[in-house]
Amino acid sequence: MLTETISLSIKRSPSEPTATDAWRQYSVPVIAASMSVLDALMWAQRNADPSLAFRSACRVGMCGTCGVAVNGREGLACRTLVSRVIGDGEIRVEPVRHVPVVRDLVTDMSSFHAKAQAVAPNTEYAGAGTPGVFTDSRQAIQAQRECIYCGLCYSACSIVGLDPGFAGPAALNRAFVAASDDRNELADDVLGHVANEHGLWRCHDLYECTAVCPKGISPTLAIQRLKRRVTTHKLKRAFRIGR
Amino acid sequence: MHEYDEMALDILILGGGGAGLMAALHANARDPNLKIGIAVKGTIGQSGCTRMVQGGYNAVLDPADSLDKHFADTIQGGGYLNDQELAWSLVSDAPKLIAELERHGCYFDRTPDGRIYQKPFAGQSFDRTVNRGDLTGIEIMSRLKDSVVASGVTPLDEHRALSLLTDADGGVGGALLMDVRTGRFLAATATATLVATGGGARMYRVAAPSLEKAGDGMAMCYRAGCSMRDMEMYQFHPTGLVAGASVLTGSVLEEGLRGAGGLLTNANGERFMSRYDSERMERSTRDLVSRAGYQEIQAGRGTEDGAIFLDVSHLGADYVEQTFPGMTDRCREVGFDLAREPVKVSPTSHFHMGGARIDSSCRTNLDGLFVAGEDSGGVHGANRLGGNGVAESTVFGARAGDAMAGYVRDASRSSISVGQIEVAIDDALKPMTGNGGENIYAIRSEIEDLMWEKVGLVRDGAGMQSALDTLDGLAERHQRATVPDIREYNLAWQEWLNVDSILTVARLTAISALSRAESRGSHYRTDYPEPDESTPPYNVLMQQDGEAPKVWTEDVRLAKLQPVGIEDQSETRMRQ
Repeated sequence: MLTETISLSIKRSPSEPTATDAWRQYSVPVIAASMSVLDALMWAQRNADPSLAFRSACRVGMCGTCGVAVNGREGLACRTLVSRVIGDGEIRVEPVRHVPVVRDLVTDMSSFHAKAQAVAPNTEYAGAGTPGVFTDSRQAIQAQRECIYCGLCYSACSIVGLDPGFAGPAALNRAFVAASDDRNELADDVLGHVANEHGLWRCHDLYECTAVCPKGISPTLAIQRLKRRVTTHKLKRAFRIGR
Repeated sequence: MHEYDEMALDILILGGGGAGLMAALHANARDPNLKIGIAVKGTIGQSGCTRMVQGGYNAVLDPADSLDKHFADTIQGGGYLNDQELAWSLVSDAPKLIAELERHGCYFDRTPDGRIYQKPFAGQSFDRTVNRGDLTGIEIMSRLKDSVVASGVTPLDEHRALSLLTDADGGVGGALLMDVRTGRFLAATATATLVATGGGARMYRVAAPSLEKAGDGMAMCYRAGCSMRDMEMYQFHPTGLVAGASVLTGSVLEEGLRGAGGLLTNANGERFMSRYDSERMERSTRDLVSRAGYQEIQAGRGTEDGAIFLDVSHLGADYVEQTFPGMTDRCREVGFDLAREPVKVSPTSHFHMGGARIDSSCRTNLDGLFVAGEDSGGVHGANRLGGNGVAESTVFGARAGDAMAGYVRDASRSSISVGQIEVAIDDALKPMTGNGGENIYAIRSEIEDLMWEKVGLVRDGAGMQSALDTLDGLAERHQRATVPDIREYNLAWQEWLNVDSILTVARLTAISALSRAESRGSHYRTDYPEPDESTPPYNVLMQQDGEAPKVWTEDVRLAKLQPVGIEDQSETRMRQ
C-alpha cells in the first residue's frame, strides 16, 4: 500500500556551467492510486518548484517525449506508475543518457532522430492504398512498426555509450522495417546504410533495448533478422545465386 | 529594443500535427524551391492530437458506400450548421488521402481478402472508418514526419507562436515565435502563413487532448482580425477515463468500443441511454451520449467520484484484447480490466468545432492567412463525427499546402512593422519578474472548473453571463501572476502564455454561446432546450472590434442538403 507522501529526487542541471549536477529532493503527496511519475513531476513543478523542467505531451504513452530514467531504469514518465517503482520509499529521476541535456530532465534528442532517419533516408511505396493481402513479411514487421521514437532504448544501450557513432536500437529497428516492407521499392538500399561497423555488426545482443521498450518491441530481434538478411545477401552474391 | 532572431520564408506553418505536416508536404511537392518552415510547439511528429487518434479515419472506399451518404451523415451529425462546401471537400478528398497516406508508408488494417478494412463508428450509415488497430494516429504521424524530414522542409522543434505579424495592408506575414528551449524570440516573416495548432479543448476540467494544446492558434487568429465562427461548439467525448487526480483522467477510450457494442450504465446499473435516445442507444452521436452521461452524473446517478460505466466485457475477453490492445493497456494502468469488467468513464472535453472561418482553399478574410484543421470552423457544424477529425486535418492540410504554394507565386507582403514585434515581446515577458505574484497553475485550474461548470455540456444564460464576469477577474489576476526569471525551458512561463490564449478562447466561447438562444448539436442550454425552428439554421460569427468582439449571425447556406425532407433518422442508424 502506498504511503501518504513519497520522496521524489530529481537530478537538476547545474546552475553554473562549472558546478556539478545537483539532486533535489521533494516530498510529494500521492494524488491517485494510479499516480504516474509524470503526475509526481507535475505536482512538484506546480506546487514546490516552478523552475523544474521536464518534457511531456500526450500523457498516455503515445507521443514518446517524456522518457526519463527512474531509479536507474529508463521509462516513460507517464506510463511508469509510482506504485511500481516506489520500492523502499524513494523515486530518483534523471534524464535519459547519451544525448545532451537542455535543462534538468529535458534532453536534446535530435542526434537520436537524425540517426533513425539516416538508415533509410528515402522510401518508395508501390501499390499503396490498393488491395493487397496481408503477407508473411508484413506480419514480421507489424509489431516492429509501432516504435514511437521515445529513445529509451538508445539511452539503455551500452554500445551507444561505447561508440557514439553507433546507430542504436531504434534506428536499426527502423532499418529492419524499411528493408522488410515488401512495398518499399528502395528496401535493398537500407542494407548499404547499416551493414557497417557503426551499424548492425556493432550490436552485441545484450537485449538492454528490448528490456526497456514501452511498446514491447524487440529491436534486438530486428537487428538479428537484418544481420541474417545481410549475410544471405552476401552469400547469394558470392555464389551468384539470383542476381 | 528587444533582441530577437529573424528568418525569412515563403511559407510559415504553425503546428506540427496532421494538418501542418500534410500542408508542408503538399506545398513542397508543388514547388520544392519554396522556403518552408514548420514551427512545432512540441517536437515534430510527436506533439498535437493527430498522434493521439485511436479509432480511425472516415473515407468512402466501398462501392456500396457513397460520398452522398458520408456527406449526409456529416451534415446531419453537425445539426445542419456545417459549411456544406467544406463538408463536401472533406468527404470527396478523404479517399484520395487514404491512398496518399499509404504512399508515405502507412499501412492500414486489411480484410482477409486484402481490401482496406473499415469498421463501424457511431452516427454513420456505413462502416467506413479506416484504422490501424486502435492506435491509428501514431501510424499516420510517424510516416508523415519521416516524409517531412526527408523533404527538406525546415522543422523548428519546440518553437511556439506568440502572435501573427501583420503588414501595412492588414495582411498576415508570418509570426513571432519563441524557442522554448532557449527562450529566444524569432521573427519569422512569410508570404503565406498557415495556422494549424489545434483547439482549446484543454480549457475544461476534464479534457482529452495533448497537454501542450491551449488554443494558441485561434487566439492569434482572432487578435489579428480573423473572422471566427460557431465558437460555442465544443465536442465532449462520451468516454473519458476516470483516474482520480492523475493527469490520465480525461484521456479517451475510443468510439469503436461503443461501435462494437459497448454498453453505458449508471451507478444503479441502468442502461440510461434508453431515456435519451431509445433507438440508437449507446451508438447515438457523441453530443447526445456525452450530455446524457453528464446529466446522469449531475442527477446523482453516477459514482461518488463522478463517473458512469462503459462495459464491453460481454463481447468476450479475447475479442476485446485483440481488437483494442491500446485501450486494454490504458485501462490496466488505472486498475481496470477492460476485457472483463465495467470501466469508470466521464464525458471529456475533446474537440472544438468552431474556429476561423475559411473557404475550401483554407483562405481566411485576412490576406496571406490560411487556417486548417481544428483551428478552422465549419467542417463539422455543431458536432463532429468520430473519424472525421483526422480526415479533416489531412484533407485541409493538403488543401492549404496546395493553395499556399499557388498563392506565394504571385503574392507579396508589404513591410512588417518592427513596433508590433516589440509589443509582442513586451507582452510575453510581462510575468518574468520572478517573485511574489500568484501561481499561474492556480489560475488555470479555476478557469477549467469555471468553464466545465458554466460553459460546458449544459449551459444557461445566467451562468454564462456570470462566467464572463469571472473570466474578467481571472484575466486581471493572470496579468499579475509571475514566473521564475529563467528563459530556458521554463514550464511556468509557457503555462502563463498558454493561459493567455485560453482566456481569449474561453471568452469567445462564452460570448458565442450566449448569442445562440437555442440548443443544437453540442450546444445545450437549459433556458432554451430545443432547436429554434422559427428561423433557418444560422452561424454565429465574431471578429475583434476593440475590447469586445463584434458578434453577428448569418443563415447557413444549405447548398446541398436541407433539413426538410431528410427527417427519416433510420438512415443515420449505425450498422452492426
